[in-house]
Amino acid sequence: MATASPLSATPLPDGLRARIEQPRSLSTRLLASVSVLLLLFFGVTILALDFLFQDLSRRAIQERLEVHALALLSASEEDDTGALRPLQPAEPRFENPGSGLYAEIRRADGALIWRSGSLTGTGIVFPIPRIGERRFGELAGTDGAPVLALSMGIDWQFRTGEMQPFVYSVAESMEPYYEQLSRLRGRLFGWFGAIMVVLLGAFALLLRRLLAPLRRVEREIEAIEAGELDELGTGYPRELLGITTNLNALLRSERERLTRYRNTLGNLAHSFKTPLAVMRNLLTNASHELPAARDLDAQVSRMDDIVKYQLRRAAASGGTGFGRTPVDVEQNLTALREALLKVYMDRGLSCELRIDSGATYSGDREDLTEIVGNLMDNAFKWARRRVRVSAERLTRTGSRREGLRLIIEDDGPGIPETSRASVVERGTRLDERVSGQGIGLSVVRELVQLSHGSLRIERSMLGGARVEVEIPPA
Amino acid sequence: MRVLIVEDEQLLRDSLAEQLRGAGFTVETASDGEEGLYCASEYAVDLAIIDLGLPKLPGLDLIRKLRTLGKRFPILILTARERWQDKVEGLQAGADDYVAKPFHFQELLARAQALLRRSGGWAQPVLRCGPVALDPRTQEVTVDGSKVELTSFEYRILEYLIHRAGEVISKSELTERLYAQDFDRDSNTIEVFIGRLRRKLDPDDRIKPIETLRGRGYRFALERDTAA
Repeated sequence: MATASPLSATPLPDGLRARIEQPRSLSTRLLASVSVLLLLFFGVTILALDFLFQDLSRRAIQERLEVHALALLSASEEDDTGALRPLQPAEPRFENPGSGLYAEIRRADGALIWRSGSLTGTGIVFPIPRIGERRFGELAGTDGAPVLALSMGIDWQFRTGEMQPFVYSVAESMEPYYEQLSRLRGRLFGWFGAIMVVLLGAFALLLRRLLAPLRRVEREIEAIEAGELDELGTGYPRELLGITTNLNALLRSERERLTRYRNTLGNLAHSFKTPLAVMRNLLTNASHELPAARDLDAQVSRMDDIVKYQLRRAAASGGTGFGRTPVDVEQNLTALREALLKVYMDRGLSCELRIDSGATYSGDREDLTEIVGNLMDNAFKWARRRVRVSAERLTRTGSRREGLRLIIEDDGPGIPETSRASVVERGTRLDERVSGQGIGLSVVRELVQLSHGSLRIERSMLGGARVEVEIPPA
Repeated sequence: MRVLIVEDEQLLRDSLAEQLRGAGFTVETASDGEEGLYCASEYAVDLAIIDLGLPKLPGLDLIRKLRTLGKRFPILILTARERWQDKVEGLQAGADDYVAKPFHFQELLARAQALLRRSGGWAQPVLRCGPVALDPRTQEVTVDGSKVELTSFEYRILEYLIHRAGEVISKSELTERLYAQDFDRDSNTIEVFIGRLRRKLDPDDRIKPIETLRGRGYRFALERDTAA
């Protein structure tokens, strides 16, 4: 039986998801990597220094112990009884209990010859090496305090010529050594910690400086998106020049491409429609002799409609408006109003503009002109006396570009409810168009969709049609 | 009325010229922008029909130049470009209306007549002065409601006079507006036609529609009827 995978069944904890979804910052990554590297480096260095110190300290102690042992040996004498006896050792610490310096002389069979006063009560048991052998190592006393001990087996030749083996042992408490070691470690950690903090701080500052141009790119791209800038500025470091110049070239070529494309479309329209106009004129002239003239004329109209629709659609910019300055809605609408009042002068219409001051369209100027031009032309066509055009700013917190609501109203007969839907619906093709709606509305619909906006047709308070275009903030 | 057509496509230009002549206009043609500019500055023009896509001097530039030169006649744009931006630019440049290609001649004619009417200061489609009414759309002339039969040339003289009703129009201006540039002009002909018009409009010598101002020209003397 199939079971649900535990991964899909258990939702991720919020914190983890946030960590996965949030893109990691470049500087955080660099700082983290450098911290790990520094920790590794300092760790190895501290270990090496620690090892070196221990080795050196032990060697120093061993050498000191050897000196003490040899001093003891040289201070030993054969007494009158023919036994070996040390003279009073030069080092006074041997006699102070708890001084940390101990010594002992035994015969090779283990019999004690002499022991220092300091050794009393420590419970240290020295090893008995063979003759000529030296043993150096750590020993523990009864109180658990470790000592470093050196024992050497020697042959003593008495005046009688007899040779007898003895063991000379010296030991030193490790307490000072451990104290030094821990002091050293403390210092090492302190120093290296401080160095690391300073290094990381310096590195973070350096990163800030190094990444400043990248942040500038980010800011400028935002400004381009918001339409405050046309392209990225100059003065970037050499390493970024490739990116910034290429990006600028891309922005420029995109703008030029659209202009070129539109010119080509315009020329295409011209070279296609002039022959159509010729055909239509010839047909009008020949309508008396040619019975099919009316049908042919209808075909000319069809061809014209198709070209008109496709060319106007094709000339749309795509709505993003990236890298363009926002269009001043008031200026644009005023120009359209004047143009239309001129064209419809005979009708004696009034056209009122209600535009929020500072309203902008974050897209291509020609697209806005096309949207409003078509809608206003329809309104002028159908209006009895009045046309009203309103433009409202739409804002949303966190959005980079403002939205825009355009309302075009007239006091004409209005658009019947039954045909409203087909005008607004996505995917209504040209040949499915409701007759009498004109190509204008289909073009408007497409343009509004490209701007991620919506188109609504209602009845106006003025009595006629009310067409509302809403382009949301982005 | 003299119309200037600036259109580079010869077939269209010729058939349009023919149709406009048929509708009672005097027609001049130019095949590119520079020629259009020359014609417009050389001849008295009442209306220009200008194609936007012209060789040598683009239509928009031609319109701007004409306006800069102080030419006030109405301009009708012929455009193959459907974008509103193009239409707005054309109207801002100084044009008064546009007709999109391919157009029906009747539509173009109606627009042209409306522009001419407006340029003469007429708000209504039918031009009325007292008992005389002239409808450019049907080329019908009535006096007190009864139709007056006019020849094409008589109609053209009357149309021009009524258009500019109240203004003094010299004989040479009339000749210029009514004959094509290559026509052999004879100013006596005008006098003959004015005489015929007077007889047809005012057989009883009652309303005296056309006034002769010695040495200056003619004036359509009846008051414009603006309320109609």
